[in-house]
Amino acid sequence: MTESVPVSTLRRRRRRVVAGGGALALALVAGTAGCSSGSSGSSGAGSSGKTTITVAGMPATTSPKTRQQFLDAVAAFEKANPKIKVKPTDTQWDARTFAARLAGGNAETVLTVPLTEPPGLIARKQIADLGAELKALPHAGDLDPRALAPATAADGRVFGLPVTEYALGLVYNRDLFTKAGLDPDKPPATWDEVRAAAKKISDTGATGYTQMTVKNTGGWILTAMTYGFGGSMEKKVGDTYVPALLDGPAEKALGQLAAMRWQDDSMGNNHLRTQQDAERDFAAGKIGMMISTVNSYNRYITQYSGKPADFGMAALPQQNGGRSTLLGGLMAVVSAKATPAQRTAAVKWIDYFYLKPAYDPAAAEEQAVAQAADKLAVGLPTLPFYSAAVSDPVNVAIGRHTNIPTGNFAPYVAGVGKLEYQVEPPVAAQELYGALDTAVQAVLTRKDADPRAELAKAADRLGPVVEKAQAP
Amino acid sequence: MSTSTIAPESVPVVAAAVRPSPPGSRIARWRGGARHLVPVLFLLPTVLVFGLFSWWPIIRSLLLSFQQTNLVEPATWVGFDNYQTLLDDPLLGKAVTNTLVFTGLALLIGFPLPLFLAVLMSELRRGAGLMRVLVYLPVAVPPVVAVLMWKWFYDPDAGLFNEMLGKVGLGPYPWLQSADTAMASLVVEATWAGAGGAVLIYLAALASVPTELYEAAELDGASVRRRLWHVTLPHMRPVLLIMMLLQVINTFQVFTEPFVLTDGGPEDSTVTVLLLIYRYAFVSGDYGAAAALSVSLAAVLAVLSAIYLRLTRAWGTK
Repeated sequence: MTESVPVSTLRRRRRRVVAGGGALALALVAGTAGCSSGSSGSSGAGSSGKTTITVAGMPATTSPKTRQQFLDAVAAFEKANPKIKVKPTDTQWDARTFAARLAGGNAETVLTVPLTEPPGLIARKQIADLGAELKALPHAGDLDPRALAPATAADGRVFGLPVTEYALGLVYNRDLFTKAGLDPDKPPATWDEVRAAAKKISDTGATGYTQMTVKNTGGWILTAMTYGFGGSMEKKVGDTYVPALLDGPAEKALGQLAAMRWQDDSMGNNHLRTQQDAERDFAAGKIGMMISTVNSYNRYITQYSGKPADFGMAALPQQNGGRSTLLGGLMAVVSAKATPAQRTAAVKWIDYFYLKPAYDPAAAEEQAVAQAADKLAVGLPTLPFYSAAVSDPVNVAIGRHTNIPTGNFAPYVAGVGKLEYQVEPPVAAQELYGALDTAVQAVLTRKDADPRAELAKAADRLGPVVEKAQAP
Repeated sequence: MSTSTIAPESVPVVAAAVRPSPPGSRIARWRGGARHLVPVLFLLPTVLVFGLFSWWPIIRSLLLSFQQTNLVEPATWVGFDNYQTLLDDPLLGKAVTNTLVFTGLALLIGFPLPLFLAVLMSELRRGAGLMRVLVYLPVAVPPVVAVLMWKWFYDPDAGLFNEMLGKVGLGPYPWLQSADTAMASLVVEATWAGAGGAVLIYLAALASVPTELYEAAELDGASVRRRLWHVTLPHMRPVLLIMMLLQVINTFQVFTEPFVLTDGGPEDSTVTVLLLIYRYAFVSGDYGAAAALSVSLAAVLAVLSAIYLRLTRAWGTK
């Protein structure tokens, strides 16, 4: 799947639609693949003895304060590390251009990627093992293993560090709740309650609940729902993972959608929605509820001009013994083409720019001030990377600049604390999401579609892919 | 038979001032070689650019289709494994079928429509210029913008089409939201977007038909339909044949419409071969399989083109 924007408040990633670019980009990859070498391209150790690294993710010029803060951080970092030269770029993660740039030796040394990407990048050996460098970091011992889990391989090696992380939850429109006679301070906690609320909202003329369904988001959200029904998408049999789509919870999750669509007619008419489509219509007050990320609030206010007072968020609804949710967010990773010296410099930079604001109150406050000046959200309830002793002073510092309606996130904060965080399915997650997109679309666009049969089709399609991905 | 090797008018100015060398001498041979070398030198930059940016990637794609690579480590040869991956993918058959359906529908709707419009416009006595602008306008709109506009047209809730049809008591229709109608909806958009260019080419071809033939046909009492069938179309055969071939090649490679409007849905009903290539490369990171499918598609199109040209050669020049 593709969680479109990242995040942290520092960046707003604009998904650029590529028209007709598939074959061309592939040709470019093919053309440059032969030209690349195993070295790190242009950003290696220079004759001056300095190690040069390129870092992606510089905020766009549309956020001047955070961009300047980024550049100031680069200057301060170089001053503190005179042997390291940092070249920032405002490139945002894009799987299409990444492949071509990696092939041509032009991929940045440090990249920030959505949490959905590291498993595939690790499997393809396109990002570097950061285990040795990680141990040398300040507060390394305080890092929460859950925060590292999305970029941790099955053998325990760590390939990325957290930039921002949050649990998926139920985003809802408080105004529509009120109009439908629902209490916006008591949002649904179970999927039965979601269904009942969606029906009431749809009776007012709005869409009660919507589901993203394309570009792998259908599978992504269905996976979160399945976690909420107490299941998982893949399970280990012996030493290998196999799809667990027919174990029950996924079928219940898909059945829930089918019931809301065809029995209640509470999901509207549009069932080919991207994440942007859903967020745009949600901000316009046309949708009552959807599963999304905490960070969607940033896009809600900056891209879609939504009313802050109408935005509500609760923890992912749970049912049938479920008590977990899916993690979302961003990780910083290092290109596999980086030299050892570049890798060390890159992790130093990641620590300085991304981790320090999570353990150093002064750095956190400086970042919060810049974000607030750019009218980006400050104070969103994200997952702390460190133990409470380290994180609490940071939260106090950020809290002085909070500009979000914190009360609207109270149900989320209260609910998510009781849940376990689960990461993406471990093997071929993107292919899994793609196959599940088809299943979700089937039950939402065809009345006679049987959820179990659709999941069986997805499992058949996925089986060989999962097997191949684990082949020695 | 003359033994002269260089025609006087083709002798370079500098060389012309020099006394002609005896035929067969070393200088004459050198001049002959130089004469052939000059065009080669002029061609060289173009050949280099084409080689670097067109042919080399094609060759690399061919090689990549037999390799496995993560673009970091050296690629490894895997024989026909990537082609086997394609054959094992249940989505391949669906993608090929969908692509054929798109191509067929596009031929059925998209091929005759521009011809019809061109003939109609060529008959106009007034407003032909305005009509040309209006018909060509969609071509000037950037493809992604056009497709996004059509996304709104097709919106099941507030879309233009359902709004208009609703006013006369029809619909709402699912358009892109149903596996039964999604592909046809894409063809309609693609036809709208591409018709303008074809119309201009047909108009140019129509202008080359000698007016005397029409006048003679009119004197003989031929109706408009008979004039079209017996005068216009025969003269346009070469253009029609090449346009049909280009359309087939283009529609086989349809990508923008399904990528932006449906992402292959609903239920994979609009997954095309190019969209599958895209997914292999940029979603799954399987560049080898993507290259294998690209090479397969190119091979199929090359064979189809060759057969088509051979079959239609006689007809096109008759």
